[in-house]
Amino acid sequence: MAEKGLAGIVGGGNVLLETGVLDGYSRDASFLSGARPRCVVRPGNATEVQAIVKWAGEAQTPLVPVSSGPPHARGDTVPGVDGAVIIDLSRMKKIIRIDPCNKVAMVEPGVTFAELQPALAKEGLCAYMPLAPRAGKSVIGSVLEREPVTMPSHHWDSTDPLLCAEVVYGTGDRFRTGEASGPDTVEEQWEMGRVQLNPFGHSHIDFQRFLSGAQGTMGIVTWATLKCCYLSRLTRAWLVPSEGLGSLIDLAYRLLRFRLGGKLFILNATNLACLLDIDAADIKRRLAVLPPWVLFASFEGYGTLPVEKAAYEEADFLRMANEVGLSPQIAIPGASAEELLPLLSGPSPEPYWKSRARGGFQDIFFLSTSDRVPEFCTIISNLAERNRYAPEDIGVYLQPIVQGTACHCEFTLYYHPDKALESDATRLLMDAACEQILASGGFFSRPYPAWKKIAYRRAASTAAIQKKLKQIFDPEGILNPGKLCF
Amino acid sequence: MAWQDYTHDMQRCTRCSYCKWIPYRYMRDTGFMEGCPSVSRYLWHAYSASGKFNMAYSLLQKRIEIDDIFLDVLYKCQMDGSCDISCKVQQDIEPLQLMQELRIKCVEDGQLVPAHMIVIDGLRKEDNMMQSKKQDRGRWVEGLGVKDFTSTTAEVIYHAGCRYSFDRDLWPVARGGLQLLLDAGVDVGVMGVEETCCGGRAYELGYAGELTKYAEHQIETFRTTSARTLVTPCSDCYACFKVLYDKIGKKPDIEVLHITHYLERLIKEGKLRLKKKVPIKVTYHDPCHLGRLGEPWVHWQGKEYKVMGQMIVHDPPKKFRRGAGGVYETPRNIIKSIPGLDFVEMYRSKEYAWCCGAGGGVIDAYPDYAAWTGAGRLKEAEAVGAEAIVSACPWCKRNFLDAAGETGNKIEVLDIIELVQRAI
Amino acid sequence: MKLSNEEYKALEATVGPEYISQEPVIMDTYNQVWGNKFFFDEKHSVRPAAVLLPARPKEISEAVRVCNRYRILFKAFSSGFEYLSLSLMNSKSILFDLRRMNRIVEIDEKNMRAVVEPYVSVYRLQMEAAKKGLFTGRIGVGYSAGVIAAECCHHGCQHTMVFTSGYGRNVLGVEWVLPTGEILNVGTGEAGSDLFSADGPGFSLRGVLRGRTGANGGHGVITKASVKLYPWYGPKQWDHKKQPGEALSKGQLESVPDGYKVFVPTFQNLDDTLSASEDLCRAEILCAFGIAIVGTNPYSEGNDEDWAMMQKTAETRARDIDPAGGGVSIANSVVCVIGYQSPGEMEYKEKCLRKIAEQWGGTFYDNLNEPRALARAFADIMWSSGVNLRATGDFLPSSSSPDGSPEMLKRLALQEAEIKRRYEQAGAFLTLGSGARMVSWRPEEHLSIGAQGISTAQYDPYDPASLQAARKFINEIFDPRGQFNRYGVPSRGGCLQIEPVTHVHQNWGPRYDNYDMWLRKIKKMLDPNTVADWTAYIPPEYPDSPKDGDYVLPSYGKAEQL
Repeated sequence: MAEKGLAGIVGGGNVLLETGVLDGYSRDASFLSGARPRCVVRPGNATEVQAIVKWAGEAQTPLVPVSSGPPHARGDTVPGVDGAVIIDLSRMKKIIRIDPCNKVAMVEPGVTFAELQPALAKEGLCAYMPLAPRAGKSVIGSVLEREPVTMPSHHWDSTDPLLCAEVVYGTGDRFRTGEASGPDTVEEQWEMGRVQLNPFGHSHIDFQRFLSGAQGTMGIVTWATLKCCYLSRLTRAWLVPSEGLGSLIDLAYRLLRFRLGGKLFILNATNLACLLDIDAADIKRRLAVLPPWVLFASFEGYGTLPVEKAAYEEADFLRMANEVGLSPQIAIPGASAEELLPLLSGPSPEPYWKSRARGGFQDIFFLSTSDRVPEFCTIISNLAERNRYAPEDIGVYLQPIVQGTACHCEFTLYYHPDKALESDATRLLMDAACEQILASGGFFSRPYPAWKKIAYRRAASTAAIQKKLKQIFDPEGILNPGKLCF
Repeated sequence: MAWQDYTHDMQRCTRCSYCKWIPYRYMRDTGFMEGCPSVSRYLWHAYSASGKFNMAYSLLQKRIEIDDIFLDVLYKCQMDGSCDISCKVQQDIEPLQLMQELRIKCVEDGQLVPAHMIVIDGLRKEDNMMQSKKQDRGRWVEGLGVKDFTSTTAEVIYHAGCRYSFDRDLWPVARGGLQLLLDAGVDVGVMGVEETCCGGRAYELGYAGELTKYAEHQIETFRTTSARTLVTPCSDCYACFKVLYDKIGKKPDIEVLHITHYLERLIKEGKLRLKKKVPIKVTYHDPCHLGRLGEPWVHWQGKEYKVMGQMIVHDPPKKFRRGAGGVYETPRNIIKSIPGLDFVEMYRSKEYAWCCGAGGGVIDAYPDYAAWTGAGRLKEAEAVGAEAIVSACPWCKRNFLDAAGETGNKIEVLDIIELVQRAI
Repeated sequence: MKLSNEEYKALEATVGPEYISQEPVIMDTYNQVWGNKFFFDEKHSVRPAAVLLPARPKEISEAVRVCNRYRILFKAFSSGFEYLSLSLMNSKSILFDLRRMNRIVEIDEKNMRAVVEPYVSVYRLQMEAAKKGLFTGRIGVGYSAGVIAAECCHHGCQHTMVFTSGYGRNVLGVEWVLPTGEILNVGTGEAGSDLFSADGPGFSLRGVLRGRTGANGGHGVITKASVKLYPWYGPKQWDHKKQPGEALSKGQLESVPDGYKVFVPTFQNLDDTLSASEDLCRAEILCAFGIAIVGTNPYSEGNDEDWAMMQKTAETRARDIDPAGGGVSIANSVVCVIGYQSPGEMEYKEKCLRKIAEQWGGTFYDNLNEPRALARAFADIMWSSGVNLRATGDFLPSSSSPDGSPEMLKRLALQEAEIKRRYEQAGAFLTLGSGARMVSWRPEEHLSIGAQGISTAQYDPYDPASLQAARKFINEIFDPRGQFNRYGVPSRGGCLQIEPVTHVHQNWGPRYDNYDMWLRKIKKMLDPNTVADWTAYIPPEYPDSPKDGDYVLPSYGKAEQL
């Protein structure tokens, strides 16, 4: 019995076989249906993970790594094949180390933002935050998925804030990337001032880049070190309302050109309302008064002269806004920076902000450059109309990334899952939108199951190399089969 | 020093490739950053100065032989010294001197470029590099009524040089230069039919013996004239008299001036007045032999030793020729003193000027390459908005005219003498 | 080794007869580069059988397919100014000289990226980018070096990394001829979009492209890359001026350009210097940073003048900067460059810098902070300037120094300095005396990902004693059983791990999570016929057994006929 073997590794209590539990893993909030896992195994440490992987290799049993808690929505944690074992890492919850001097935290995959942020705050730090992630979201999961962070000036590389990681490859080999590698234990490394800070690979390879964006297909990360930011001693936050998107993008470019500011992103009214209100009716009311587009910008005071830092950045920001004909406000009709700000430093309050308007949502996200974003907005809007979906119901989140060299464009289709017509319209719109986005030059850097086929349609050579790499690190193909191009 | 004596330099060429470019601190425009025409045109690394170091080192180690390719690489080079200047911004080695010695070795070994053999045959028979008759040498000056040192004497010798003496298109310039001196009341004469080649261009082809021969001849001639000053409108001749004779230990006992020196002197003394407006936008092309190659020779004898463990230094300290002592400001001062004229510098100027293309025997053996190089310079002149490119050497003017003809470039090609004439 | 007529003709068909050569005279200029004497005991490495000058990726692709057909080794280079850039495993090999691929394809001002071909030099891109207010950082190998070489293929980094990062973190797109001849465009390139992301779909092939160092030609040819650019606060053009009659090497900026300010504080001791350095870097105010003096003296013409200057100043210098004669070492000075786009930004950054300096007892000595000295420091630190090869003829740009945490780098550097001092005292290396810097690192991304440790030993490869000492020194540092084996794999420069010269991969791999095993598998996967030269990468199989780190001259190429 496979389950017996697993129980021998993690203890019987950590092998879950209940139908309800397994059903829960066999689908998520996406439109995709997957296979039902044979069991869920919950390791407590890296040694157990390694043993599980070795067991899976021998038993030729697929493993689906999951680090975030439910509800899942992107299809990546739903088994792509029958007979898989879910390897649920949520028990691995240790915040192993926080180094305030080097601004680095070492965490296990089960750690959520809600757990990490207070621990960091005690040390004068904070995490690179994605926009109001759901409560159960694993920090490492978010980082490995390359979820965009809200501080584009500090986002040097697409893998940020990932520094080093310990990984168990599909072969069962345990490996440490970057500076973390070596003959010593991590504790011994700390003693010699080596704090797993530097991500660069061994000589000619950057191993951590095989883990980022891999959806658990290349290895299972058992801990990672993450770049952190200084906790601000004061924050000056602004909302910039606009009827159109163009000038807001212009302003974002100007700020990012000089790496100014802390948090910076653009939301449309629908998304802003959903973020700020819990109740659907309130969302509707707020929507009625909000401007169509809002840029949020914060100026963070930390370091030696926190007040002066925030003040000069803010002054430059106001000048730049003026130059493009925009008027930043502390409060705009329907919203204030003050009420938005607390939502940006932790996970979303329950219910998850995207579930509030209609209960269900589907995200479509891809990369472009910021200057092309208005085109995509028009494309989606036109498609929505054609697919009998009200364009104004679509949430838009635009997040410049990698210091402004690209932009994460996220369109959220809100719908009532229990209304078949709405669901169908949403599904149709999604499919059509993905096709059109690809045709128009949008790039699906993160190929979740809903659009992976579309994403790989123009990535044949990449897929060929990825498959060969997969063969090296996971020769038996046991890690999350059916994802990416595998 | 023989070519083998540069072993140290061969070893220490790092392949930084700086010899291919003008020094980075002086780069102005990314379209005009290249310094070496040879590697720019022929692409293979061998064609750069670094390549020559490599070839020499391989030759020394008997890994290669001197063959047609070796000669092709060695001689498709104007010996313009751009590489030398760029290299020495970072290094204490001598690429140009090695290249010169390699050419000398080739000649000594009988490894000759056929086109150059014809030129040298002509030189040996007719005392000029233009394959022309010796008896025609003084024709350019006919009718000017100037003193001829064959029958009289004067304070100043006006040495026209081979190109001016035999290139009919350029006779007006040579005559014009002489006329400027005459008009200013200078006691000047010419050697007429007795003028001979300086030997400089032959030396650059590797014919070291010819330089010695002509140096001795010229020195003797100067001695017999009792002239105190030699003025030449040819930059090649200037560098030969001024630098090469000194280099081989035959420094003439006479003041050697390029005509620009003399014109500037006359302007300062008020004997030459540039009063007429010349409303034209011009740029100045530094002839290599007046500029970086016109820097006086520096004699040094001493030894290399080490300090601070391993730093390589010299006793006595060695002053490398880095081009700074060339003639740069003099022609510019003249041009800038012309009323109404708009002067503009090219991106590559003075020590790091791009060559006109005629030097090192290239115009004789590889005229297409010479024209290609010249065309590059005309393009640069155009790029800075110049209506005319002004030089101070007949070889430059000849090559620019040829390049303009071949490429259809309409820019006006002037010698500085012509420009001065317009201002009078 | 000469190629057969059939082989040569097949290669010739890819680029045309004008752009291929197998002439010995030409070939022997493609195997002499600095460092060769150290590695091969002679200036010549293996002579290539032919060199090709391709103009397009398609030509390279076709030639690489020919290489696969006839089992011919290949390697590409741009400027070739990197040691081992031309090294080859055997003489049945060709080199691609990429100088004809020299276009700046695009500078996207808004999205702050440039797309370049391999022969575009860093300085050329700096000049063009400056016109649009952008900057591509400095690398340490000089201005002729290629952008792609630095970002994708070799180890290119320097003082601007505090702000401009490096090591492939700036790569936004790559066009890559794989060892099979297939052309791979990673990320958005393959999707047909602008080159703004090299990641995905899914995990990123940038992981294969390079790590701390590149593959140095070991996994194909990068024919185009998109690189991230950074703000340039200065003028569109700048002038280095010299006086008439002065050598060109004397030319320098007369002042720090508008948009920048430079400060050179000096601290009381090494610990304070390093502590202040960390604070300065983490304050996110710097565009460039250098620990220890980065030339604030006027430029010299050559070694003789350097020596004269050193003799003149050696006695007085400490007194000059410290009138009280407090024994302050100039090695405890740091160069800080700030850039600003507004007066407010300038004021803040300067105030912040001064406050941090003050907290650690920093003093701004006049002679290190006068306008021309600062201008000189600015030019040195911001642009791809000169090289460190004139003084002795060569240098070891690395000892063991890896990238990592600052505290670790400090401990490593101090240990290493002890060893180096022995060789210096024996006269084998350039010796700068007791005032020389002990610890230096190049902070990366405001120190948020650590720093690159750096230490150099300048030696004369043509002085037998100096060369022997250099090898002994490297043996000590690279000994996997030695005192440095806990500080990271010594692989700076992408060079010294060459097999079988130092057996680094072979010796150090088992100590470092067997990384070499994965690397060899990747090499095998990318290059099934082993046609991409691996002399500065990794072989698919090790040719012989480990040698415990002792220096071993390479065996390859020795017995082969020219």
